Amino acid sequence: MSEEKIGELKEANDVQQGRREFLKNVCVSSAAALVAAPASAGTVAEASNPDADVTVAEFFQGNFVLMSDEEKKQAIARLEKRYSAQYKKKTTVSDTAAPDDVLFGYALDISKCIGCRRCVHACVKENNQSRNNPEVQWIQVMKMPKGNIAFTAENLDKGYPEKSEFGDFGVQVGGNAYRTAGLSTEDAQNYYNDELVPDQDFFYMPVQCQQCEKPPCVKACPVRATFRDHAGVVLIDYNWCIGCRMCQLACPYHARRFNWAEPKLPAEEMNPKTHYFGNRPRMKGVMEKCTFCVQRTREGRDPACLEACPVGARKFGNLLDPESDVRRVLSTKRVFRFKEEYGTYPKFFYYIG
Amino acid sequence: MDFLHRSTNLSALALYGFIAIALSIHGIAYCEEEKHAETQSTQPVTDCFESRIGYSSVTRTENVVPEYGYPNVKCSQTTSGVLWWGDPFAGTIPMGGMPEITDETRGDFANAVVKPRTPLLTYYNIGPNGCETCHNGQIVPIPKNTKPRLIGMHQDIVENSMQLMHGHGALWCLNCHSAQNRNKLIDRQGNEFSFNQPQKLCGSCHGENYIDWRKGVHGKRIGSWKTGGKKRWWVCTECHNPHTVQKSRFNQLQPEPPPPLPRGMKNANYERAKEGQH
Repeated sequence: MSEEKIGELKEANDVQQGRREFLKNVCVSSAAALVAAPASAGTVAEASNPDADVTVAEFFQGNFVLMSDEEKKQAIARLEKRYSAQYKKKTTVSDTAAPDDVLFGYALDISKCIGCRRCVHACVKENNQSRNNPEVQWIQVMKMPKGNIAFTAENLDKGYPEKSEFGDFGVQVGGNAYRTAGLSTEDAQNYYNDELVPDQDFFYMPVQCQQCEKPPCVKACPVRATFRDHAGVVLIDYNWCIGCRMCQLACPYHARRFNWAEPKLPAEEMNPKTHYFGNRPRMKGVMEKCTFCVQRTREGRDPACLEACPVGARKFGNLLDPESDVRRVLSTKRVFRFKEEYGTYPKFFYYIG
Repeated sequence: MDFLHRSTNLSALALYGFIAIALSIHGIAYCEEEKHAETQSTQPVTDCFESRIGYSSVTRTENVVPEYGYPNVKCSQTTSGVLWWGDPFAGTIPMGGMPEITDETRGDFANAVVKPRTPLLTYYNIGPNGCETCHNGQIVPIPKNTKPRLIGMHQDIVENSMQLMHGHGALWCLNCHSAQNRNKLIDRQGNEFSFNQPQKLCGSCHGENYIDWRKGVHGKRIGSWKTGGKKRWWVCTECHNPHTVQKSRFNQLQPEPPPPLPRGMKNANYERAKEGQH
C-alpha cells in the first residue's frame, strides 16, 4: 500500500476531522474567504439573522452525542434563539438525557383500535411536522379485512401431492399450500375515508416506528446520525443527517419520513416545548420519525398518541418494571410483534385484549 | 438598456449564488411546488368531546399552561374530537377511595384522578337537587319494585324501557339506579355509589374487565407513565354507554382525514378494488 493511501485511510478513521477537511475543500478560494470573514467577526454566534436556515456555526457543528457540554449549550442556545424569533414565541429546546434503568416499550390493542386516526393527528400536533404540502405523518393506520389470515380451516384437507413428469415427490399443492400462515398486509387500506369507524368487517392496525432493539436503520446510516439511546429509543440528530435515505430503505415498517421540501409549520400551531432529538422544527433534506415523544417521555409523561386514543388501546411504560402497564399486558394478554421474523426485536407490541 | 445592466451584474450574481449553495448543507435543490395554498389558519374548535359524543364534552380554555401558552386541549377541525392535551389533569378531582384488594390485581390508585361525571349528565343538572328535583316522591312517585314497565320519559336514553338489553334483559333501570336516592347508583347488595365512580358498580358484575382496568390493561389512563405517578383514569361510562352497550361496546366515530395521496395519484380506489377477493 502506498504512502498516500495509508494517509487517506487515517483521515477517514477520524470522521469529524475528515468531514471538516472535506468541507474546507468545498469552500474553495474566494468563497472560503467570504465564509471565514463573518465567522471571525463573531456575528454568527449572536445569530444576527435569526431567519437564516443554516448558520456557519451550525454548518461546522459536530455530532451532538460527541460534542462537549459547552458546545451543546451553545448549539441549543442558537436553536432556541432562532426558533423563538421564527415562530414568535418562547421556545425551549431540551437535551434531557434518557432516564437510567428504563427500557421504553409500547403495547397496542388491535381488538380495541377503531381506526379513528386521532393518534396520527395528535402526533402531528405534538411533533411539529409539516402541515401541508408536504403533509408529514409518522403513524400509518392500516385497515385490514377480518379473516386476513389466509391459512384457512376449510382448505386444510384440500391439499394434494403434486404429480409431475419427474415423479411424485409428495410436495403439497392446493389448499393452504401457497397461502401465508400469518397476517398479510397485502390487502391493507391506508387511505380509507369512511363516514364512521369501525367498519365491522375490518380491523385496524396503526404502525409507527417500532423502536427495534436491533434497528436496521441504525446499521444502514453511513454517518451515525441515527442511533439507539440507552432507554431503547431510536433517535436522529437532524443536524448530522445527510439525507441519504438509506435508513428509510432499511426500515421494514415504513416508519421513516423524509423532508423533501422545507417543512411548512404555521407559527400558531407550533409546539414550543421541544427536544433536540425530538420535535424541534426540522429542515429540508433530513429524515424524521416517531421518537416515542422523547420530549415528553424523558420527563415522565405519556406520548401524545396514547393520550389521544379515545378507546384506550395504547399502553406505554417501562419494560424493566413488572408493575408497568406494558409489562402487565405482556404477562396477561396474547401478544405479537409486527414482522418479527425479520429479527429486528421491536419494542412495540400488538395484543388482543 | 435594462438588459445590459443585468448582464453586467451576472458574474456577481453567480458568485453570490455559489456562496449560498456552499453554505447550505443540503445543496441539492428539490423541486418544491409553491402553487398550493399555504396552510390556512382557522379558528380553533372550542366544543370538543373525548370519547363518547355528548357524554364526555370538554371546552377549550386558552393559556392553561402559561409557560408554553398551551390550551387545556386541542381539538380536531373535522370531528371536534380531542386530539392533544396541554394539561391532562385540567378539571379533575381525586378518584377517592377504591376497595382494598391485596392480591396482585391491586391498582395504582395513590395519585389517581378522574374527571367528575355529574356535570356532564343532562338530567342530573336539571335542577338544584339533581335527579331528585323531579324524583322526590311527590312529582314522580317512588316505585315499589324493580319490575320492568313501560315508561314515558327519558326516551333519549332508552327508547323502549321494555327492551333494555343490558344483561340480555335480566336487568332493568332500578337494578343500577337507586329507587330511593336517584342521585346515586346502587348495586345488588344495596351499596350506593356516586355517578363519578361507576366502576364500583360495573365491576360488581364485570369482574374480569374490572381486574384488567385496575391493573391498567383495560381502559384509558393519561398523565405519567411511571408506576405511582399522577394519572387521570377514564371510568367505565366515559367510553361505554351502559344503556346501549349490547348493540355496540363503543359507538362509532367519524375518523380523522386520511393521509395525503402520493404525488400523481388521483384516488386510492386500487385499495378498495382488492376488497373481498380473499
